[in-house]
Amino acid sequence: MAGSWWDRDRSQDHTAPNPNVRHDAYADIDFENNAQRLPLVLCLDTSSSMAGLPISTLNDAMRMWAQELHDDVSLSASVEVAVITFGGIGVRAWRGPQMLAPGQPGTPFVPAHAFHAPQFEAAGVTLLTEALDMAMQIVAERKQELRAAGLQYYRPQICLMTDGLPTDTEGQLSDSWHRLGPVLAAEQEKRHFRLYAIGVGGISQQGLDVLRALAPAFHAHLHGFPFKQLLAMMSASANAEQKGAGDEVFEKIFHQFRTQRSAWES
Amino acid sequence: MTERRVRVGTEELRVDELAAKGGGQASVYTLTDRPGTVVKLYREPQGPDQERRLERMLGLTPLGGRPTNSSQPPELAWPTGVVRGLDGAFLGYAMQRFGEPDHIPLIGLFTRAQRLRWFPPRTDWKFLLGVCWNLAFMTARMHHEGLVIGDFSSNNIVVDGNGFVTLLDCDSIAFTDPGSGEHFPALMQTADYSAPERQAGGPATEHTDNFALAVLIYQLLTVGNHPFGGVPHGSSSDSTIKDNIAASCSYVVQPDKVVTPRGMIEPAILPPALLTLARQAFGPGVRSPAERPSAEDWLRALDLERGRTHTCPERPRHSYGFHLQACPWCTRAAQSGQDPFNPPPAPAPMPPPVPADPAAEPEDKSLITPGILIFWAILAAMVIAVIVAAANG
Repeated sequence: MAGSWWDRDRSQDHTAPNPNVRHDAYADIDFENNAQRLPLVLCLDTSSSMAGLPISTLNDAMRMWAQELHDDVSLSASVEVAVITFGGIGVRAWRGPQMLAPGQPGTPFVPAHAFHAPQFEAAGVTLLTEALDMAMQIVAERKQELRAAGLQYYRPQICLMTDGLPTDTEGQLSDSWHRLGPVLAAEQEKRHFRLYAIGVGGISQQGLDVLRALAPAFHAHLHGFPFKQLLAMMSASANAEQKGAGDEVFEKIFHQFRTQRSAWES
Repeated sequence: MTERRVRVGTEELRVDELAAKGGGQASVYTLTDRPGTVVKLYREPQGPDQERRLERMLGLTPLGGRPTNSSQPPELAWPTGVVRGLDGAFLGYAMQRFGEPDHIPLIGLFTRAQRLRWFPPRTDWKFLLGVCWNLAFMTARMHHEGLVIGDFSSNNIVVDGNGFVTLLDCDSIAFTDPGSGEHFPALMQTADYSAPERQAGGPATEHTDNFALAVLIYQLLTVGNHPFGGVPHGSSSDSTIKDNIAASCSYVVQPDKVVTPRGMIEPAILPPALLTLARQAFGPGVRSPAERPSAEDWLRALDLERGRTHTCPERPRHSYGFHLQACPWCTRAAQSGQDPFNPPPAPAPMPPPVPADPAAEPEDKSLITPGILIFWAILAAMVIAVIVAAANG
């Protein structure tokens, strides 16, 4: 009985009940769901050093992770994903698979159940500092939007991934990241977000020193490009946040990740 | 790849490589040769207390006398064996598997997308009311046997297609071993369901369970709205459910104190007797644990409402309490374009989906066939005419 009503509705009833309300998956705030949100920002290095296997591995891992998010009954209720890339034509925000033009209105955050992975290409310089600036900015803006809608949020997570050293727009090594250290420390002291900084591939000791300075408690060096594990760690951390876990739990999750040797931890 | 083996009792079993579910404290793994069983393995070595807790639990059969109806799953995912490494080290415990797609975390009932994906097509408000009843029943029975759930949340309960509920993570409940008299406290909690005294470090009690039960029932009956949602007016700081609980700030009782969540379902969707209990729990009950309605209070009130729901004649999956004159879901759909129970209409630019009903096919053919026949008849006539003309020419 119910089925027949719906079949009829699906084929004919394009006007019901209010044609002006669009059920766009990218509507700024997912209307039907007013669960407490968990904003998650992936801040990814797509500079030229990531060309080839690394970037294709990243693309594959992102696609699989998006599917895992869809299938995760708990996380899909509250996680919202935004992606920032630094490389190519500069620092860009992505709304799901769509790259946003600078200044384009609308939030880059997409509800987990509607998130589809972008397809990245590797090129250009490593504007790491500018990317983190943008990450902090979109998180602050998102919080404001959510508050205005009467929606609460867990502590946002920002995950920085790079295989190089911060540069300027000319590709010259840059010291501009120095000014971020105190800002990031102060913001995290106020529990405004949690920053994970992960070095991958052939990142140099100097590159790791930068990550250590940016994220004293949550920085790591992963051999190769284990993006699948990296994204799984972000999910585990999101789970812990949803549960209201204490800082020590996050350190445990991260420590496990950092010292991982076997394939047992997903 | 190295293979991981563990010992459950005297049996040696292979553990699947990837965790079915991971958390901060432990991960749940499936077993290669035992599809119906999972093992929960702690991330870190556990002390003798946790091992003794599991050993004691194995000696108990809580909510004894399993359900007589065989279609009903057990209410507790109780440990079925202690898991050890081949060296004898305590690693965790085994239990029956309650996974998707048959058992869905309760949180899956809180959003339309997940409800439509995982639950039977006719899942409606009356079904949610039934799940509430089952939750209250389970809680009341556990309290009757002196068990405290402790970590009572929308992720620790799974629901099946018949609305039967099962409590996972039983290793964190509080109980007293009847043999030794030793008490094992509840170890875990989930912030969004923690009563203020628990947030402040107090132990889990029947009263803290009653708080979580009230929140879960309210969420189910409002298709997912947390009673401590909303952002306090003038707040510029980060705002969480946990903070609102600690501040005893619920819009169910004091709607003026917060910017209510966008798309909120009015509390009056609850029948009066249930709304009274909710106001008791989220008003005076927040600060005074003893004033919270008990699981039995909820059970009695829910029982009455289950027998007197209305069914909407206009749309499927629309049912509601006896106290309402018109279908609240139709009203909401008309006002906002959002029907919390039915899928959104297909977007207009999309072509209508291919009919799934195979019976429609011959009908379509019979409609198309005359057209094709006429087409061929005309074509044949033209060809003949051309041939005739050519021949005559």
